[in-house]
Amino acid sequence: MTAVLGGRRRFSRPARMWPLVTSAPPTAAPVSETVSIVSTSLTVLAVVVAWFLAQLMLLGGIEQGRAQDRLYDQFREQLAAATAPVGGIIAPGAPVAVMSIPSLGWEQVVTEGTSAGTLLNGPGHRRDTVLPGQAGVSLVYGRSSTFGRPFAPILSSGAGAKMTVVTGQGTATYTLGSVRRAGDPMPPAPSGTASRITLVTSDGSSALSPGDVVYIDATSTGDTFVAPPGRLNAIAPSETAMAADRSVMPALALSLGALALVTVGVLVARRRFGMARTWLVGAPIVVALAWMSADLTTYLLPNLL
Amino acid sequence: MSAIIRPRELVSLLLGLTLIAVMVATGDSRASAAPTDEVGAFSKTKTVTREFVDGDQTELVDSRDVTVNVDHTLNLRGRERVKIDWSGARPSAGRAANPAGEKGMSQEYPVVILQCRGQDDQSLPEAQRLSPKTCWTSTVQQRSQSAVQRNAVWRHDAYASETDREQVSGVDPTAGCDVDPEFWTHATPFVAASGKTFAACSGSTMPPEAAVGASFPPAEVASFTNADGKGEANFEVRSATENESLGCSSSTPCSIVVIPIMGLSCADTPAADPCEATGSFRTGSNNFANEGVDAAVSPLYWWSESNWRNRITVPLTFGLPPDACDVLDSRAPTAFYGSELMSQAALQWSPAYCLRKDRFKFQLNRLGDDPAFALVENGQATAAFVSGTREKETTEKFGYAPTAVTGFAISYIVDEPDNAGERQELRLTPRLVAKLLTQSYLGSDLGRGHPGMAANPLSINNDPDFRALNPGLDTGSREAGAALLSLSESSDVISSLTDYIAHDKEAMAFVNGAADPWGMVVNPSYRKIKLPTAEFPLLDSYVPTTNDECRQQNPGPYFSQLAAPVTTFRKVAEAVLDGWPNVQTRCERSSPSDPYKTGRVDRQGVGSRFMLGVVSLGDAARFGLRTAALQTASSVSPNAAFDSPEGRTFVAPTDASLSAAASMAKQQGTSKAFDLSQARLAKKASAYPGTMVVYTAAKTRGLDRAEAKKVASFIRISTSEGQVQGSGNGKLPAGYVPIRKSGPTAALYAQAQKVAKLVEAQKEPAAKPTKAAPTKAAPAAAAPAGSADVPPAAAAPAPAAATPTAAVTTDVVATASNTSGPAQSLLPVLVALLLLAGLGGPGTRLVAEWRRRR
Repeated sequence: MTAVLGGRRRFSRPARMWPLVTSAPPTAAPVSETVSIVSTSLTVLAVVVAWFLAQLMLLGGIEQGRAQDRLYDQFREQLAAATAPVGGIIAPGAPVAVMSIPSLGWEQVVTEGTSAGTLLNGPGHRRDTVLPGQAGVSLVYGRSSTFGRPFAPILSSGAGAKMTVVTGQGTATYTLGSVRRAGDPMPPAPSGTASRITLVTSDGSSALSPGDVVYIDATSTGDTFVAPPGRLNAIAPSETAMAADRSVMPALALSLGALALVTVGVLVARRRFGMARTWLVGAPIVVALAWMSADLTTYLLPNLL
Repeated sequence: MSAIIRPRELVSLLLGLTLIAVMVATGDSRASAAPTDEVGAFSKTKTVTREFVDGDQTELVDSRDVTVNVDHTLNLRGRERVKIDWSGARPSAGRAANPAGEKGMSQEYPVVILQCRGQDDQSLPEAQRLSPKTCWTSTVQQRSQSAVQRNAVWRHDAYASETDREQVSGVDPTAGCDVDPEFWTHATPFVAASGKTFAACSGSTMPPEAAVGASFPPAEVASFTNADGKGEANFEVRSATENESLGCSSSTPCSIVVIPIMGLSCADTPAADPCEATGSFRTGSNNFANEGVDAAVSPLYWWSESNWRNRITVPLTFGLPPDACDVLDSRAPTAFYGSELMSQAALQWSPAYCLRKDRFKFQLNRLGDDPAFALVENGQATAAFVSGTREKETTEKFGYAPTAVTGFAISYIVDEPDNAGERQELRLTPRLVAKLLTQSYLGSDLGRGHPGMAANPLSINNDPDFRALNPGLDTGSREAGAALLSLSESSDVISSLTDYIAHDKEAMAFVNGAADPWGMVVNPSYRKIKLPTAEFPLLDSYVPTTNDECRQQNPGPYFSQLAAPVTTFRKVAEAVLDGWPNVQTRCERSSPSDPYKTGRVDRQGVGSRFMLGVVSLGDAARFGLRTAALQTASSVSPNAAFDSPEGRTFVAPTDASLSAAASMAKQQGTSKAFDLSQARLAKKASAYPGTMVVYTAAKTRGLDRAEAKKVASFIRISTSEGQVQGSGNGKLPAGYVPIRKSGPTAALYAQAQKVAKLVEAQKEPAAKPTKAAPTKAAPAAAAPAGSADVPPAAAAPAPAAATPTAAVTTDVVATASNTSGPAQSLLPVLVALLLLAGLGGPGTRLVAEWRRRR
């Protein structure tokens, strides 16, 4: 890489071979400076917003799909080696279960933890509840509007479907109930060895206002497993429903700073090397940094979105 | 805003006036004219004499009319101090530094105060009467004497019986006492409450509580009478809990015996016999060197008949022991968790509940305000005592019922120089409190190496800031004078105390790093510490470098050893009561071959005591601790040097200053505590800054019906009969200001009644659907809510607990509403922004060009 783009060759050549591109391409008609500034700022804002929206709706889906593939492989390996976690304190982000609804062709790997960052990769298991498949109530959070929209299919057509949950303890089957919204009566507590998974997400039925938390209760229909002791009894506020994770601020600041630096670098390089060559090198860096910044910004949004 | 509120205020004013008119008209003013319970103030005058008898002639040497007053004598508790003052006594001489126990014996003409079991009533049977044999002394030297014939002054006692004047008297020959035939010996055995007699002729024949190094310092005193014949003492009484042999309790009456020592009345004495001595010390003089005194006028022979007959007996009654409810009531207690400020009130209140079958068994479990509230919030406790609105983690609804107006104080034990007794008044400013809390005094030369504050005074009594406000104290530096003994745990008291600092310009300038006018700076470890805080941290980690072998073997953070906070205010109170700082810098080893260890320093010697501690007002009143006056207002320019307290207002905790503070409390609705922050208190110069209101916080929904009824009844009882001042069961002890239907605490009373109603009803008027926890007994059952707020952590496999029938039958359990504003508006805003910016960018350019073309 450096051999091809290395500086040695660049400086060994006469400067005139790489003339400075001093003037910008002529515009149709020059406008006043104020108008230029306003217009350019608005355009930049539009590009940023468009990128962010694209990240939330499209690119995030790709990212989430990739993360699911990776988690699935990891969890499959752990199941085969019988090292999949079944209780105690599990590191956030580790896969803990695979939930699948065959009738919808839906399958998701559930990871441990419910902070906004963890939920980028798929549904997350709330850390102070029992694991899916174990007796008791387990809470699983997921996104329904962004980043692959993992819970969107269940919201629209999940009622009555059969769900299979594979964990390190075995396979458990559940039946999904209908969507429960604020004010609806709550089902009684599961007794004995019964298990319930409550899927928690934001109401994506109206795409423009996914602000209400809704619940789907999945009740066990077969055998369940005993929950080993030693669960957390408290979690960070950033892991509750609709919470944002502000711990990401330093990383975000660094990432945005890097983006700003690269932008300046691209502008300088463009004057020296011309448009085409600069973008050939700069675009991947800019895209990668923009992707990362947008991801980190998502941490600051409610986690069930 | 104000325009909206004004009519409301007018209406409430009119309603209030109408209410008062109705109350006056119907004559229902019981609550406002609550009678104060008798605390048993005592006063008695007696003529005490000394006579010399020579044959048939009786010469009256001295006669005085002594009046003894005691401030309270009823329902006393262990270690409670009563204030005794007297007038008309013979002025004392040869004052000892420490009047208590054996050390007080080398004085002349003191007033001996003892605690004795029994009553001074000739009509009672012998076993219930008091005598020298039932009076407590903590050493054998105070009861039994042995002397050569000439010095055995008691053999000439005019009033003693023949047997008491023999060479050996009072000694039980079977008790194994060694009696030296060369000497004259008198012993006063001690009869314990169990009936056992301790011969008291040597240290090993004394009751166990009188052993060397017993847990409690001696309480009996030989107190000093000033030249005007007046004197006073804070006398500490001991219950059977502290002193089983003495055995004073609610069923065993005891007395305080005050004996003004007049000197022995002598009979048949040869010339210049020691019995007729009248003292070798000048009136009012000191006896620091513990020199010998004239035995005939010393307190040593308090038991001799001629002294004993001059006694004034103060009958006492004791309250129920702290464990009375556990012993007398087998029901399961209903525990209220929370503030230690309530402990003295709870001590008197709980028997009023547990001894009545129609009431529940009330119990206070002391806990930090925050954890107590958390227990109630997650259903593990019924109610909590807190002193402010708590942050809730759930959507539970809470009611705050004002239950007591009390607070904290900075108590002190400071001796005046030159053996002039205890300091009566101490003034403190927020800056001085900040200096103590931030460990900015060096303590000793060990602290001088601390970087950044080498020029600071060693202890507070060296600080010109303190000396200007409290002139006349000695300047001897001491480690205890560098610390304010405080709490290591989180508490609303610490929040309030640090808030008091935070609302003072001088104090905050100091904390933020500015030097005070005399150049003292804050300990850099605490510079810019965020105040207020509920838990004052130990931040200083400075370990002194020294050649001291002990410190080299036990290196430790010196300033933390000075501060050494404790876990309860009670411990602070007892430390101040005993004059025993919690400074942990004592170095000792049992033998030169053993390793050194560090520990708590010794009790301070009377005469040079200096110690400060944060205590609750209830404890301060119970133990008779002196409390410092705190600055409330200042008209002098901040950060200017001063040399007198002029221009500053200091307020000590009294009923008046607490009431003034309580009247500043601003109501904020039943689901919140009153606003009684330091910012509000600072508006009234006569309001004591340490005032705090303790609330009973309980859920107004989701509480078990039976529990809710108990809480409601507690709130009603505690704000009615529990606010009658007195020492009896169910009464309000000293240190608390009663909450009454009228007067400065009327708003508190009204809120308590409202909350009682809400708690009893267990439903909120609001129609918003919220989840309800079914019962206290099954907190896990609250979990199926599935609401994200209360996680079903332990999601019980236990079938019985997990099927709460109560939840199904009583409450409609609805899914909680949880809406996120940002989530709702995010996408629309983003899309709108995209459209606006996307169209606006090229749009402005187009519009500008179009304009130019025209």
